[in-house]
Amino acid sequence: MDMDLKELLSQFKDDLKKISSLEDLEAVRLKYAGKKGVLAKFLEEIKTLSVEEKKEAGKKINEAKQEIQEKIAELQNSLAGAKSASAQDRFYKTLPGKKIAAGHLHIITQAIREIVEIFKPLGFVRVRHPEIDWEWFAFEALNIPATHPARDEWETFFVDSPPDEKYGRLVITPHTSNGQVREMLKNELPIRMLGISRCGRRQEDVSHLQTFFQFEGLAVDKGISITHLKGTLDYFAKNFFGPGREIRLRPHDFRFTEPSFEVDINCSLCLGKGCNFCKSGWVELGGAGMVHPNVLKAGGIDSKIYTGFAFGWGVERTYMMKSGTQIDDIRHLFNNDLRFLEQF
Amino acid sequence: MNILVPQNWLKDYVKTDAKPADIANALSLHAFSVEKIIETANGEPVFEIEITPNRRDALSVLGIARELKALLPRLGFKAEWPEIKNKKGNETDKLKLDVQIADKSLVPRFSALILEDVEIKDSPDFIKQRLEAVGQRPLNNVIDITNYLMFDKGQPMHAFDYDKIKGAKMILRESRKGEKLITLDGATRELPAGVIVIEDGDSRLIDLCGIMGAQNSEVDQNTKRVLLFVQVYDPVRIRKSSMVLGHRTEAALRFEKGIDFEGVIPALWEATDLMKQYANAKEASKLIDILNVEYETKEVLVDYEKINLVAGIEINKKTVDEILQGLGFELGDQKVKVPSWRYDDIDLPEDLAEEVIRFYGYYKLPNKLLTGDLPKRTRQRLFSLEFTVKIFLKHQGFFECYTNSATSEELAGKGALQIANPLTEEFKYFRTSLLPQLAEVITKNLSYGDRIKVFELASVYLSQEGKLPAQPLRLGLVAKGMEFLEFKGVVEALQKEIGVKDSVDFKIQEQKEDVLMAELDFEELIKKATKIKSYQPLCGFNSIKEDLTLVVPPDGDITYPQIEKIILDSDRRILKLNFKGIYKNFLTLAIEYHDSAKQISSEQTQEIRKKIFEELEKKLGVKLKM
Repeated sequence: MDMDLKELLSQFKDDLKKISSLEDLEAVRLKYAGKKGVLAKFLEEIKTLSVEEKKEAGKKINEAKQEIQEKIAELQNSLAGAKSASAQDRFYKTLPGKKIAAGHLHIITQAIREIVEIFKPLGFVRVRHPEIDWEWFAFEALNIPATHPARDEWETFFVDSPPDEKYGRLVITPHTSNGQVREMLKNELPIRMLGISRCGRRQEDVSHLQTFFQFEGLAVDKGISITHLKGTLDYFAKNFFGPGREIRLRPHDFRFTEPSFEVDINCSLCLGKGCNFCKSGWVELGGAGMVHPNVLKAGGIDSKIYTGFAFGWGVERTYMMKSGTQIDDIRHLFNNDLRFLEQF
Repeated sequence: MNILVPQNWLKDYVKTDAKPADIANALSLHAFSVEKIIETANGEPVFEIEITPNRRDALSVLGIARELKALLPRLGFKAEWPEIKNKKGNETDKLKLDVQIADKSLVPRFSALILEDVEIKDSPDFIKQRLEAVGQRPLNNVIDITNYLMFDKGQPMHAFDYDKIKGAKMILRESRKGEKLITLDGATRELPAGVIVIEDGDSRLIDLCGIMGAQNSEVDQNTKRVLLFVQVYDPVRIRKSSMVLGHRTEAALRFEKGIDFEGVIPALWEATDLMKQYANAKEASKLIDILNVEYETKEVLVDYEKINLVAGIEINKKTVDEILQGLGFELGDQKVKVPSWRYDDIDLPEDLAEEVIRFYGYYKLPNKLLTGDLPKRTRQRLFSLEFTVKIFLKHQGFFECYTNSATSEELAGKGALQIANPLTEEFKYFRTSLLPQLAEVITKNLSYGDRIKVFELASVYLSQEGKLPAQPLRLGLVAKGMEFLEFKGVVEALQKEIGVKDSVDFKIQEQKEDVLMAELDFEELIKKATKIKSYQPLCGFNSIKEDLTLVVPPDGDITYPQIEKIILDSDRRILKLNFKGIYKNFLTLAIEYHDSAKQISSEQTQEIRKKIFEELEKKLGVKLKM
């Protein structure tokens, strides 16, 4: 009897090891502690024994039963716990990852970055020139004398300070072209410059800002022709706007270039065929031209030997022409509303 | 400026089979941008054309027609130019005008003619319709004819009532400051000095020359005798006066760009002819034509080689010559004579190159990339470090901002440069620091969240007497809701990110509302930055690490760098020393001991530690926490 009980417990322990669910456990419980279980059978058997023996055996059986019931209860708790834990765990893993406090680069920085990266393989080196500069660099050196009507086109801010005898008044550069002659005066030819700076003009509406950025390309070397300007701008257009895009030049007039061009890009919707959006198939992109001999002269460069091309476009405007940004009001760019900034 | 050119008016000069869309396309690609084609009430197409400032010769129907006549045949269209005879009237000696010109430079050419028996009435329909098509209100025949010819030939002209010119006398001079007159639009205008005006025999001002006539000499219903007035004024003075007076009339816009010197007299006779036809006028004087400057024809070298160099392809001599001739240039020996209407515009061989290549067609030129030597300069370093810093800050949760270069007086800082002609009060002074505007960004965005971090990398503007203002790049950082040491940690880490070993000076300003700000001299930072990272040999021996907690006397005037220096100087075997935390005045440091020559033992570290405490206690009164 003693031996039998020991064997029973050892068998019970083996059975427990095989259990992986509450159902298995219930089966084991019935097998040992159920009404028709093994222990019940033992109790049945001892009925035949003497009172003394019965008392002794009953006690042992009860001990065994208690042990079995304890073990089962213990296992039952742990199995039930495991079940609910794994459900919790599964849910936990579906939660979103912890937010890293992500900051944002301003859309202008992203635009500049993109522009720089496109011109870099063509050998254009980024530079920055003064944002407050002498009138001479912003106008006279660019073949725009003080009395010339062309000055009307630049709504210029002047600085309230005494003028310089040679260079005139201080202005907020209304364009990045002040950098052209500054770059030439460094006396390092050939030039392949990409100047990007802040500019300022006395105007503000949905498409103009008092502060804005321009990027200015300037190439000066022997043998530079219009074909090089066209190639460079077409390369830019295809890389910046997309492979199907191309540019064309139309006659225009700027004092600091001769010839001067208006640069058009084929419409993003119809690619030049003409549609309701663009009418003619083309959209104006900006100005460009071959550097005027008087500008080369102001920069100390002999126009008999060297030629060059230049273009200067608004960073924000060019970026907004890229399909997809959908910015309807340029003033958002300097408002610094974080709800706007976080979208870029 | 934009002009309107009705197609049926163009037909006076050029007969073509080109459709309006062809004309618009031809002009846009080879000459002037046709912005749109408008239709008049009776369905006539009108071109709206943008004329660039260099092409004052094209501010008229005639000018556009001249261009088309040369252009259309090159594009396969017919373009005939009906013969137009220059008209000439009959001069008589009946009436006179006494003209006195004080300063010849004011009016390079002064011409006029007196007409009599003038009948003031409505203009004929064709003139009325054409004026309406170009946006002008017809008034009466005499005034309309002068306007009509301005749009037709680009020559502004004026008609005076001859009988209102007292003493038949005109003194053309510069105004004196404060003089007044009432212009045709009824406005009383007080003049600055230097405006070109005409005074009559009664010392009255009767014309604001080149801008608008005066009411006291205007043609009205009772006018019988007219002085037809056609001039070339000094463009610079006209422009300046018209700008100062804020009165930009069609006439002024044309005078200030310059007038075809040789077009003056034909225009005057054309006007006379129209006055005779439509106002029954008769000539009543000799032609008054005072030439105050010598006009010489201009010759410019045709540099065929240069043309090809600029074009980047070969355009043969025959084509070059054809194009130039078509545009009215007279071919000579290597030079061309510039037509009078292009006198101010064509000076250099490059100017001729533009004429030739635009007519040849920019769209026909191939696209090429630059060849040749690479530039000597390759200074991208500053810009790539800029980007590294920006990206670093972005990943620390900072928002990059762009604020205006100018701001209000309050935010600009002391000694700020001022804009002489600001548009608004908020944009009046150049900033001397980025921080006030960035702090404002925080204030504006308070509802965004508890923690707001922003930065900007931009120039500030510092006045320097007699020199260009200094415009150093600054990096401004402003945050709300960050702990002081957390914020300081970002500033330190960004320097480390670009290889700055010896930190630049910066000061963290603590503002109300939990706002922290710092501004760094970015150029100074870049000077100290190094991307070159040199390698320290790795060592096989292990180091020993431990934490030390020190008691900093609460009332002492002690800084962390002092403690740091004392510890680091106390033994060469101290490899690293890091700040770990502070509670009240208990400072915990993490220290790492290492000997590159042999394995360091705990006995040795104990010895070093002892030295550290002796030094700290002796020099600063800092003790080990027991």
